[in-house]
Amino acid sequence: MTEEFLRLERIHKSFVGVQALKGVDFTLRQGEIHCLVGENGSGKSTLIKIISGVLQPDSGQITVEGQRVDRLGSAATTARGIQVIYQDLSLFPNLTVAENIALSAVKERGSGMVNWREVRSIARAAMDRIQVDLDLDAEVGELPIGRQQMVAICRSLTRDLKLLILDEPTASLPRHDIDSLLAVVRDLKAHGIAVLFVSHKLNEVFAVAERITILRDGERVATLPPGELDDDKLVSLMTGRTLNRQRFSFSDAGARKVLEVRGLSRRNSFEDVSFDLRAGEIVALTGLIGSGRTELALALFGISPAERGEVRVDGSPVRIASVQDAVAAGIAYVPENRLVQGLVMKLSVTENLSAAVLDRLRGRFGLVDPARKEAMAVEWIQALDIKVSDPAVAVQTLSGGNQQRVVIAKWLAAGPKVLILDGPTVGVDVMAKGAIHSFVRDLALRGMAVLLITDEVPEAVSNASRILIMHAGRIREEIATAGAQVEQVQRLVEARA
Amino acid sequence: MRIPLVLRRPSASRTLAVVLVAIVLFMSALNPQRFPTLGNLISMSYQLPIVAFLSLGMMVTMLSGGINLGIIATANFTGIVTVLVLRALAGEAADEAGVGVALLAMGGGLAAALGIGAITGWLIAYVEVPAILATLAMMTLLNGVNLVITKGYTLSGFPEFLLGVGNGMAWGVPIPFLILIAVVALLAILLKRTRTGLSLFLLGSNPIAARFSNVPVRAVLVRDYLLSSGFAALTAFIMMGQLNSVKANYAESYLLVSVLACFLGGVDPFGGAGSLSGMVLAVVILQVVSTGVNLLRMDPFFIQAMWGFIILVLIAATFLGGRLQERRRLRAARAAQQGAERPSGDARAAVE
Amino acid sequence: MLRGLLRHNETYLVLLILALCAGITLANPAFLTFENVAGFLKSCSMVGIMAVGALFVLVLAGSPDVSFTAIAQVVEYAIAIATLRWGGNIYVAILAAASMGVLMGLVNGVIIHSFRVPTIIVTIATFNIYFGMLYVITAGKLINVVHPMFREFGHALLFPQTSKIGGTYGLSLMPLVWLAVVVVAWFILRRTFLGRSVFAIGGNEIAAERMGVNTLRTRLFVFGFVGLLSGVAAVVHLSIVQSVVPNIIVGKELEVIAAVVLGGASVFGGKGTLTGTVLGVLLFAILNNGLTLLDFSSYWYNVAIGVVITVAITNSAYQQLRREKARVHVKVEAR
Repeated sequence: MTEEFLRLERIHKSFVGVQALKGVDFTLRQGEIHCLVGENGSGKSTLIKIISGVLQPDSGQITVEGQRVDRLGSAATTARGIQVIYQDLSLFPNLTVAENIALSAVKERGSGMVNWREVRSIARAAMDRIQVDLDLDAEVGELPIGRQQMVAICRSLTRDLKLLILDEPTASLPRHDIDSLLAVVRDLKAHGIAVLFVSHKLNEVFAVAERITILRDGERVATLPPGELDDDKLVSLMTGRTLNRQRFSFSDAGARKVLEVRGLSRRNSFEDVSFDLRAGEIVALTGLIGSGRTELALALFGISPAERGEVRVDGSPVRIASVQDAVAAGIAYVPENRLVQGLVMKLSVTENLSAAVLDRLRGRFGLVDPARKEAMAVEWIQALDIKVSDPAVAVQTLSGGNQQRVVIAKWLAAGPKVLILDGPTVGVDVMAKGAIHSFVRDLALRGMAVLLITDEVPEAVSNASRILIMHAGRIREEIATAGAQVEQVQRLVEARA
Repeated sequence: MRIPLVLRRPSASRTLAVVLVAIVLFMSALNPQRFPTLGNLISMSYQLPIVAFLSLGMMVTMLSGGINLGIIATANFTGIVTVLVLRALAGEAADEAGVGVALLAMGGGLAAALGIGAITGWLIAYVEVPAILATLAMMTLLNGVNLVITKGYTLSGFPEFLLGVGNGMAWGVPIPFLILIAVVALLAILLKRTRTGLSLFLLGSNPIAARFSNVPVRAVLVRDYLLSSGFAALTAFIMMGQLNSVKANYAESYLLVSVLACFLGGVDPFGGAGSLSGMVLAVVILQVVSTGVNLLRMDPFFIQAMWGFIILVLIAATFLGGRLQERRRLRAARAAQQGAERPSGDARAAVE
Repeated sequence: MLRGLLRHNETYLVLLILALCAGITLANPAFLTFENVAGFLKSCSMVGIMAVGALFVLVLAGSPDVSFTAIAQVVEYAIAIATLRWGGNIYVAILAAASMGVLMGLVNGVIIHSFRVPTIIVTIATFNIYFGMLYVITAGKLINVVHPMFREFGHALLFPQTSKIGGTYGLSLMPLVWLAVVVVAWFILRRTFLGRSVFAIGGNEIAAERMGVNTLRTRLFVFGFVGLLSGVAAVVHLSIVQSVVPNIIVGKELEVIAAVVLGGASVFGGKGTLTGTVLGVLLFAILNNGLTLLDFSSYWYNVAIGVVITVAITNSAYQQLRREKARVHVKVEAR
């Protein structure tokens, strides 16, 4: 099965001020599972949009199933069997599973009428093809993301499908859903459907891809089977540089205990959690999505307070029933969803930076002093090397990595004793990841107690001195990273899945 | 939901100032005998604060992403409670009551308004009822209560002091206008220099991030609606002074006008943005237009239709203005790129 | 199954209505008589018809339309005058009213689609334009005499009975018009792609566009439909009261919207049912009727509705909070 399905030759595409693709060649075989990797700005989303007909290339040639195609619009690409599932899934949260799956097909029938029996049978047929079982009458908005993704895939199966493009599909999936997804991908292949995966998550890429194409700065740098690649080589192809693999170590056993947690519990979230955190330590909390790690963080931060148990900061017991309590106790939390939870996009960098410490910026008459706000913003922009021309610009104009720095700065400004970072490098470029890691290590060296929540084991192993493995709401294992191997830890984490 | 375009150009206030000057000139030209006179200016200065306070009361709730549909009903309720307290304290001689009694009565009215604000704020902040529904409910409820208490009758007979708040003069300037200036100054400080005020913007833009950013969301929301009700009470006192009566359904049409003023003044109906200077200019413009057309003896219903038309024109102008800005920005960026463009023929990617 | 029922907003409404009926009947047995029920069904038909339109808008956009009463008022006036001048029959009148309503509604649709501004703001504007111009043109004159066709239509009765004092009563045609509207609306929303598009756009407009839904056409349909229903409601109202008072329909917007919201429509768009809307309208009608039968002054009506709305939205928000709290984030292991 080595016939070509899709061939792109010498594709050029530029937008105002940016050349997104510079003469890219790309081929996709029939029924192939192919992964596309690249940093933000490498051109991978532009390439996807050209393949799916949303954008037209400035020059170059596209051939689908041997036929030259001149102008591919999105209706035409769907007719040729090419469909995209974007990260936002494009589902209707207020409609049922059956309707989400079948509505597009019903539209194609053209009668303008909706026959519910037909809707259900179309939906069921699609689900059967990839052996998933969903409640047809469930409201899609109430389903967890993994199931929603299944709905999206079923929907794409209701039309004649030859190539399915998945844009960052595993970004927020729990382990078992990732496995289900990868199984579905293999299933699609067995049906002769090619799958093009765009992904940041290297271990999934390696698990399922037959070939991997790496883009960098709008050019195709290489296309290789996973056997010829490893993490380091992949990263160096993606970024043109090599990563610093030095590990973090912590050896001050006499350092004071900044955070002591005993028997912390909250119904349906976590149970009997106990651990210590010392000044200067970075402890990683890892576990799959659904293990309770974020819930634990939210309890320590006062968003969803614990029901039982004890927390001590610097030896004194504290009761955390609200965010205000947590911040007063010296706990800060950098959230996993930076766009929604961490930043107010419309507002300026200054406003975002000062948001958590407004009551400390008072001047005369107890009023907030704009001069102090400005000064504070400038200070932190410099301290964290945030690349922005003017602190008054809206924070949504910044890149992902810089936005993350703003969030971190916002909390550092509050002078916390404990910094909880939840997935701080998710969706951040590899090089920016490294920068954030060095920065966090610096903080630890200067005495901050850091709790790093991550589901990327390599990140945990490199940057933490201890790893707490959480599963089903409980802490199950504690590993010292000194001397541990990434694969070994990975196996331990997955053994708990 | 679709992302709408809103009047948020950085120079919105400047545009409004220009519009104001133009309209003043226009009205003066249409009505040279009566419009540009001191008497008219004073008359407008009496009426302006009513619309202004209602609009400001609406604005503070829109900033936090909500709305206060019940503001007028609250104002009427305040007036009614004030009269009730007055009569309880002074009986038949209400209109001869002294300053002390008047203040007590106003205190009662204010307390009533703040009570409504507290309940509304509680519903929105703690029970998490959407603001539009909570204030719709309060509006309906209060309208009903007001009707039941007054049975549709007008109540009057107010003491000197109370009347003075609405129609008195001090140093040649109408008292309500002085109050307006003071309140606007205080509000400016509140919005930009206090934690509560700044939190409103955060809350309106992104309530989730606000919560995660150590903003005491619930407390801020309750304060927000208390403030809005405070404005309603203020409006009530001024209306009482000018109309010398209270009724269950005064100023009903002002609900539209206050929303219009917010929109015109640059408040984002989805929350998170709004400028006080824009609001003030917007309210002044509305007052000038209103007075101007009144002087022309235009049919008030024609004026009503005209307001509607003006909103549509504004909407179209904002939209087209936004489009124009987009186009200009694209053209500038394109020009910059052409200036910096290298000759084509970049290195090809490594062959597989 | 019980838990499934409890999750539905309509269940609470039905319970509330039953409780009200029981309470009112206990206090005044005249409530549960054919004459009385037929009476309040007739008088709430106009609101009922407009509520169906309001539902469509709320599902589409989350932001309510407030101009439909102005459209109805204008159409009522126009039809009254037109029929006086040119005669005709009731079917022609309904057709003409509907057509005029459609045109007025389409204006809303075009503006909202073109300029992407919340529905409530645009319809506040068109409300004022329509209503203001109506008064300017008619100078607020009442119309006391209308074409006899409206009296015939309004007084037509099914199952006529003779009352004790010699008058006749029975089921008026007005509730049947309402029923017909509900059936047509049900068919559109449930059985046509156009109807499903309304829900789709309300749920995720971008996804709807990606799927190929013609959002302009759907929007125009919804607002045109609201206009159409306003026109029909105008004829119904005209048939009931046989006079035109230019500011009698106007003012009921919030009541209609409250009924729809009470019936379960979401102010964020994408959700709402006809059953709920009908129940909401019935609830208000029963409240009003009950107050009259129990000799409360009409001033208490607003208070009653206000209380009902407050209780309903509080309950609904509270249920939502409870649901969130009970959500299982993590399946915690026993040991």
